[in-house]
Amino acid sequence: MIESWLKNIKHEGKPDEWEVKNLLKSIGIQVPKGFVINPKEEISPSQLTFPVVVKVCDSTILHKTEVGGVVLNVFEETYSEAVLSMQAKFPQSRILVEEMSSYSGIEFILGGLVDPTFGQAIMIGAGGILTELYKDVTFRLVPLEKEEALRMLRELTVSAVLQGYRGSQMDMEELAEIIVSIGDLIKKLGPHFSQLDINPLVYTKQGWTALDGMLVLN
Amino acid sequence: MSKTRQLEPLFYPKSIAVIGATNKKDKIGHIIFSRLKHSGARLFPVHPKEAEIMGVPAYPDVAALPEKIDLAITTISADKTVSVIKACAAHGVKAAIIIASGFGEIGEEGKKLEEELKAIHDEYGLEILGPNTLGIFLPETGLDTIFVEHGDKALAGGGSIAFITQSGSVGTEALGVASNTGYGMRAFVGLGNKILLNETDFLEYFYEDKQVNCIAIYAESIDDGKVFLEKAKKIAKEKAIIVLKAGRSAAGQHAVSSHTGKLAGSDRVVNGAFHQYGIQRAFDEEEICDASKTLSMLPLPKGNRVAVITAAGGYGVMCTDYIEQKYPRAELKMAELNNKTREKISEINLSFASSHNPIDITASATDQMYVDTLDTVLSDSGVDIVICFVFFSPPGFSEDLIDLVAQRVKNSRKPIIVFTEFGPYTDGLLKKFYDRGVVGFSSIYRTVRAVRFLEERSRIVRNLGGNGND
Repeated sequence: MIESWLKNIKHEGKPDEWEVKNLLKSIGIQVPKGFVINPKEEISPSQLTFPVVVKVCDSTILHKTEVGGVVLNVFEETYSEAVLSMQAKFPQSRILVEEMSSYSGIEFILGGLVDPTFGQAIMIGAGGILTELYKDVTFRLVPLEKEEALRMLRELTVSAVLQGYRGSQMDMEELAEIIVSIGDLIKKLGPHFSQLDINPLVYTKQGWTALDGMLVLN
Repeated sequence: MSKTRQLEPLFYPKSIAVIGATNKKDKIGHIIFSRLKHSGARLFPVHPKEAEIMGVPAYPDVAALPEKIDLAITTISADKTVSVIKACAAHGVKAAIIIASGFGEIGEEGKKLEEELKAIHDEYGLEILGPNTLGIFLPETGLDTIFVEHGDKALAGGGSIAFITQSGSVGTEALGVASNTGYGMRAFVGLGNKILLNETDFLEYFYEDKQVNCIAIYAESIDDGKVFLEKAKKIAKEKAIIVLKAGRSAAGQHAVSSHTGKLAGSDRVVNGAFHQYGIQRAFDEEEICDASKTLSMLPLPKGNRVAVITAAGGYGVMCTDYIEQKYPRAELKMAELNNKTREKISEINLSFASSHNPIDITASATDQMYVDTLDTVLSDSGVDIVICFVFFSPPGFSEDLIDLVAQRVKNSRKPIIVFTEFGPYTDGLLKKFYDRGVVGFSSIYRTVRAVRFLEERSRIVRNLGGNGND
């Protein structure tokens, strides 16, 4: 499965968000419903429920928001215009259209890297744009078992929100299982794997959902 | 071959050749040779001109040595070392400790010498410790190659801690200070440049050593990180492992574009990995000594509820603050004493004593009140750990308390840890406690931190499904 996924990446070693999300979906991690539009492609009528988000889908662009590559809350009336102007701005890139996910509660980050001494590692913590400010994260080596993933979660300052803090309802068990799946994925990617950021990872009515994903391969 | 057999000649040599032994005082070769005279091994000094060194017949070169040699110790300079080690290997020497610096740490030229040493090992199987190492100190036999002051007299009593250090100075200075208040060392190993033998080898060696129950490691780098961790995880089921991993700067050798990479920046991966594999972490030389002393001497607590007995209210308050500080990996809480315990404490003590935890028996109490209170608290099933603040300045207290507390420590399955402060006498009193088997520290912070190491260790043992060292 991973071998064929690796083979089909458009730009070798640099999967874009759509490709990363397909990979996540294939291992059972939920991503927003969406589709991708190729450069210069006719705009297909949207099968999605509005509002949607329109994003540039290009692994060479690191900070989409900062270059105007993300438009949130797009309704049916402005949809064509949003896609056209995104295509005009990024003529070489694909465009990703996804349903807006509604969620409450805090955002998480789930990531991975290769430590020079110990090898492949996984990270979970408080996510969103302030993740590097709070630094409320914890690491383990992969692969790992669910018990260990639960221990990771209990170590976080934000762990309280997973245990009903102020009435919050976020499924801690399911999050631990996702950590284990990502750990297994990193392991399976083996020497191809370099870095991963799933940020934000949020809890919606349908469960944990990866709203963005960046994967760097070797 | 098992690690024990492979490294036996390093720790238990029957014959030692010292290349660089000299009659010239204050030369390293002189200091080491004179120390080795207490080791019980047959000594063979090698010197190109002298006929004898300190009364022991000398040999002009390695080839002239009259019998098979277990261990060679070289104190000669780096440039002369390779040919001597080659001669040792050819003569059948099993292991060598290379004291000299001037190898890989100085650059390319030194690295070339290290490669030549490795090639000798590959050809002859000679084990090499170092170079650039202080070598080995084994109180049990008196084998001691450390040529600087290191509290060796105070450490001579031995103990159950194996102390493995990449930096000789960090090891000797930290142990020297720790020995003032008592430190039970089974063995000291200086890894130096660790061109062949590294932390993982000695971790395995001391796993097999039944006299060791706690392994402390100071490391700036860890070779084969994953292998080290896997071995540690197996060993940590039975023996405590504490690692001081120094050098917490950015890990990112290559460009990091992810948040994850930037967040790992300092050394959070090390933190997580150690935790996952059952290794406890210390952050400075005092902490690693405190932690290893505690873990090597005390039983593990069955829970995390701490009772505090004090004769001075202020210390009880400070201690409570430390205990209740959030610390997810080793959460502690103040024990709630049951009514029977509290009534009994009130009966034993003066009317103005407090039977609430922290238990303040006041400075008007006596030795007897102190130990009766301690016995009562120990028998409360809601108490897992007891911190005893033992003060000697109030007139009702005497040094008899040391023995009285020591008896309880000896007979209790719950860990009891002492904090004491008594001006210039503090270290001496702590040493007396230690000599009677009691772990004690001279600050509240260090005392509570030591208790956390116990709690963290008991969690690790639970997580790994091991049986701990008690």
